[in-house]
Amino acid sequence: METSFAITGKDYIIVAADTTAARSIVKMKTDDDKIKVVSPHLLMSYSGEPGDTIQFSEFVERNLRLFHIRNNYSLRPSAAASWIRRSLAQSLRSRKPYSVNLMLSGYDVTTDTPHLFWIDYLGTMTEVPFGAHGYGSYFALSLLDRYHNPEATLEEGIETLKRCIDEVAKRLIVSPGKYIVKVVDKDGTRVIEI
Amino acid sequence: MSRSYDRALTVFSPDGHLFQVEYALEAVRKGTCAVGVRGKDVVVLGVEKKSVLQLQDPRTVRKVAMLDDHVCLAFAGLTADGRVLIDKARIECQSHRLTVEDPVTVEYITRFIAGTQQRYTQSGGVRPFGTSTLIVGFDPNDTKPHLYMTEPSGIYSAWKANAIGRSSKTVREFLEKNHKDDLTREESIKLAVKSLLEVVQTGAKNIEISVMESYGKITNLDLPQIEAIVSEIEKEKEAEAERKRSRLAATAAGQASMTSRVTEGGSGEPSGQ
Amino acid sequence: MNSLANRFSTTGPINELRRAKSVLEDDEFTDSAWGSEAGFGSLAKGVPNFTVPSVPDPSAFLRLHTDDYADPSCRIKIQHGTTTLAFRFQGGVIVAVDSRATAGSYVASGTVKKVIEINPYLLGTMAGGAADCQYWETYLGIHCRLHELRNHERISVSAASKYLSNLVYSYKGMGLSMGTMICGWDKTGPAVFYVDSDGTRLKGDIFSVGSGSTFAYGVLDQGYRWDLTDEEAQELGRRSIYAAGHRDAFSGNTCNLYHVKEDGWKFIGNYDISKLHYDGPGETPGAGYGYDVRVERSAAIAVQA
Repeated sequence: METSFAITGKDYIIVAADTTAARSIVKMKTDDDKIKVVSPHLLMSYSGEPGDTIQFSEFVERNLRLFHIRNNYSLRPSAAASWIRRSLAQSLRSRKPYSVNLMLSGYDVTTDTPHLFWIDYLGTMTEVPFGAHGYGSYFALSLLDRYHNPEATLEEGIETLKRCIDEVAKRLIVSPGKYIVKVVDKDGTRVIEI
Repeated sequence: MSRSYDRALTVFSPDGHLFQVEYALEAVRKGTCAVGVRGKDVVVLGVEKKSVLQLQDPRTVRKVAMLDDHVCLAFAGLTADGRVLIDKARIECQSHRLTVEDPVTVEYITRFIAGTQQRYTQSGGVRPFGTSTLIVGFDPNDTKPHLYMTEPSGIYSAWKANAIGRSSKTVREFLEKNHKDDLTREESIKLAVKSLLEVVQTGAKNIEISVMESYGKITNLDLPQIEAIVSEIEKEKEAEAERKRSRLAATAAGQASMTSRVTEGGSGEPSGQ
Repeated sequence: MNSLANRFSTTGPINELRRAKSVLEDDEFTDSAWGSEAGFGSLAKGVPNFTVPSVPDPSAFLRLHTDDYADPSCRIKIQHGTTTLAFRFQGGVIVAVDSRATAGSYVASGTVKKVIEINPYLLGTMAGGAADCQYWETYLGIHCRLHELRNHERISVSAASKYLSNLVYSYKGMGLSMGTMICGWDKTGPAVFYVDSDGTRLKGDIFSVGSGSTFAYGVLDQGYRWDLTDEEAQELGRRSIYAAGHRDAFSGNTCNLYHVKEDGWKFIGNYDISKLHYDGPGETPGAGYGYDVRVERSAAIAVQA
């Protein structure tokens, strides 16, 4: 059951996504990376219809890269989010819409602020302090309402993320095994072990 | 009526020429010079920069463009045409990654650019690109540098070193004389600068150098660095000239002493120096 | 008058422009300009086009006439039911498949080739619609060869699988049914990619696809190590297919085994699954994989001891 979380902190965002790729009852892969680094300070976690997820995320990745090569700078998180939302909204009104849910986490190097955007397949976009997609969101959102601290250090943020993961592991009937966790901050993006 | 053969592009002249394509080459010859030098594990692009007007922003005038992380292009000829070609190539680079996951090879993108140029010589209502390009880069998972050239006709070819644009013939001849296999990084840069100096009179401030050392690793030399290389070259040239002069002087002196010796010998005892 | 002349003249700037546009949009010449299309009549450019039923939802229409599960008397019975597996190990890639084709509850064939030899370095497996796999993987083979000719090097497994995945993705929702593994050896070493008709494409070490895949996984996962020897790996592939052939009603008959190494793939053999049950792959009677056979054998050994 696909699950992803994202938590903003003082000057960073932590993103976590499960790593299973399933087909019917079988786990085809247990180390699938569903968080794409789409530009130097921008992470995109995605879930949804298999096939669509990869196609759409790669489409986004290549277009943001093209923008970078053409203009020699990257889109800021809010601009990238708007562009992605619009692409999804356009696709929704086409013959074959992408059903992909996203969370876009970026660090705006011009203002030194982290931004997290929650986007769903209908083209809904909202900026949030924390977000979740999938079955995990039913457990994590209330938990984060209670425990999230926007001023937390990275260590405290990781602790909060662990709470989410533990809760999902405890209560969700088919809980995902492993998660991949990435951080974006002023130094760019990196994978962290938890 | 021979005049009509250069009206419609897609019409051959009776002796097999496409005049518009040849005129496009002429536009290239009017463009500023660009040089490419391939070393052992490095490839260097050097271009002649037009002097910008006093109030112009020099950053907006660029003749070297990255196509992707690992491929770089310099062109000579019509700047506007070059820009269009570059954009087509950049889109193709990303599109290639999207469809086969791997980045483009240098030859692939060269073939794409040449193919685009060729298409504009074989359809009505369009005119050829007035640009030649030099394309340099490294293939993914490979350490061999590549240098290619394309022309308005759509020809493409691989080179060890080459020049396009204004006085390219002079520069190419210079390169032919001075290029050696397995040049080091410094030697390659120096050769590129040296060859450009053949046509660029104004020196360092009108030269732009980009060095690609491995996959995705590219550096643009800044003005002081280029100035250092130029002054080094000038010093060498001066030293060379000095040597020549002194050699000339030596021979002259030698000849003079010979002649004097002859005259002295004529008078009696050889001088015991 | 002038505008009329423009409209009907075949030269003149407007027509020339129009023609230019159509030429520039047309990326290349159609392949038919070069002669034979080898039955792939729609190779022209990009993704081939097929005529689809002119109903609002072609795939629902297709399902209505092919879903033998919901309607056993449906008019078209598509061949389903399979076990295929492929895994990567130190010595290359092992590809093993069964050979049964079922249409509904009827065993349509027991000698199906479910490994598609794309070229000497690439293998594809077949699960789901037999026709879909066969057609598209052959089509993939054509493009792999074209890639080779254009780029003077063999296509990577990753690129080939991506090509197939993009292709089937463009048909998503139109009723294609494929679950395939693209296996081969390229510059990066042995590689296995799972590609299915949803558009999923996964790189991995072990995959099994088909109705019997769970049974195959049971044996395969337990016996798998990266440093298996060639013989051990082949034995593991065979045993896993046997397990699925034994337990899954829609898989069985024989097992085809391939081994991909640096110099391309090699066909190892075809094994009768009933014979594997009693006698194993060799010629020794009683050395079979079957539970009873195995237990009796160890009992006999215990008695001897």
